[in-house]
Parts: sequence; C-alpha cells; structure tokens
Amino acid sequence: MAAHTAAGKLQGLTDDQIWYEVAYVAGVTHALNTVADGLRLPLEFSGPSRTPAVRLPDPADSAPEVKAVFDEIMAFYSMDHPPAVFRWMARDAGFLQSYWAATREAFTDRKLPRPMKEILALAASLTAKSDYGVDFHLWQARRLGLSDQGLTEAVEVVQLFNTVTKIADALQLQPDLIPGA
Amino acid sequence: METVRIPEAHELAADDQKFCEATKAWFRIDFVPKMSRVLLAVPEFGRPYGGASRRAMADGALTRAQKELIAATVSAINVCEY
Repeated sequence: MAAHTAAGKLQGLTDDQIWYEVAYVAGVTHALNTVADGLRLPLEFSGPSRTPAVRLPDPADSAPEVKAVFDEIMAFYSMDHPPAVFRWMARDAGFLQSYWAATREAFTDRKLPRPMKEILALAASLTAKSDYGVDFHLWQARRLGLSDQGLTEAVEVVQLFNTVTKIADALQLQPDLIPGA
Repeated sequence: METVRIPEAHELAADDQKFCEATKAWFRIDFVPKMSRVLLAVPEFGRPYGGASRRAMADGALTRAQKELIAATVSAINVCEY
C-alpha cells in the first residue's frame, strides 16, 4: 500500500483527501461484498442467480422510511429495484439509513469522480473475488462510461498488482517507499 | 522481516542497471526499491514482468494516475503492507 500511495503522489495525487476517498470506497465496497457474498444474496445483473441463505424482505412490504431510502438508492444506481444487500439491511431501518448514508457519501463526486470510484470498487471486488461486487460494480462502471478499453486496462492493472502484492507478502517485504518521504 | 536476502542493486545484471536508474529517477529516490530488486533477482522473470508492468501503467483510456489509484485499492484489499 505504501509504495502505491507514494507512486500515486508522484503522479500528482498529493491531496490527502484523494487517499481518504480511495480508502472509504475500498472499505465500504469490501464490507458490502462480504455481506452479499456471505449470505449468497442474488446477483443484481447477471445470472444464474443464487439461493440466498436468508429471507430477503419484500420491498413492497417496507415501512415508509425504508421505502424512502430505497427510492434514493434506486435513483443513485439507476436501478428499478433496490440492491439485495440493501434489502437485507432493511430488516433494521436504522441500520439501512445510516449505512446507506455512509455508502452514498463514499461514492459521491468529491476529489474523485463517481465513475472512478466505481472502477475502484470493481478493482476491490475483483481482488476479493466477490461475485456480487464484480457483477454490481462492473454494471455501474459501464453505466457511468467505462469503455471496453478502459475495462481491459483496469483489469490489467488489477492483475499486475495482485501479482506484486502477493510477491511482497510471500517474501514479507517491509515498505521502503514511504509516501511523502 | 524479509524471508530472503534481497540482492543489492550492484549485484543485479549489467543489463538491468539502466532500468534501476530509471526507477530511481521516476520515484525521485537515491536507492533501488526492494520490489524492483526482488523482481530482477531472476531476470528471466523480472524483465518480462517489468515490460508488462510498464505497458499496463502507461496512459491509455485510463490515465497513469487513475491506474495508481487502482493499484492502491488492490493493495488495500490484499492488506499488503509493502
């Protein structure tokens, strides 16, 4: 991580806010993927779907405050149904409201634009081998403009850096490229 | 603690010294990073990997900077300290 942050800063990414946003996207994406894949929630865009390990509440039966959050989520993702991972959270309206608010803010345009954040979420999902995350963020990244060539390049970088991170871990390399040093 | 002895830069093959100097210049540092030396410990691996890496990180549909953000995300998910 230290080496890539250092390399990124040499590419002009010197504002710490950028690195906070990368970390927030990685954290939220990984958490949502963990729940969605752990509970085998159905994939949103590609089949065949999976049989969930838990019963998902029917959105039609939701309380008004949950429906309001679902409407916001569907608009944010341009979907005609709330994603299964948020349907799961809707078992507890307070949990859904608070975690969705954090997710929305993590993915909102700030220093990094939303399309880039979806590419980062796709990279996080590929690296974690998350079926749910790859399905979801690939669709979202494409919707927000990721081209075929852009997708190829993103996956190429993911593959390359999954190589070096595992080499570093296998040999227990200690960081020698320190950001800002 | 590293599990292997990482070669010093001067121990690497003469053909790889130019790459080492380029790496130092790019990172604006006065040493060759461990990862570069690890990859070139076996030049038959390190040279083509280096080529693949330079190709992957070049500006294209995605910028070099965007690709560095992707690389950092991969490292974060893999919990890679390096």
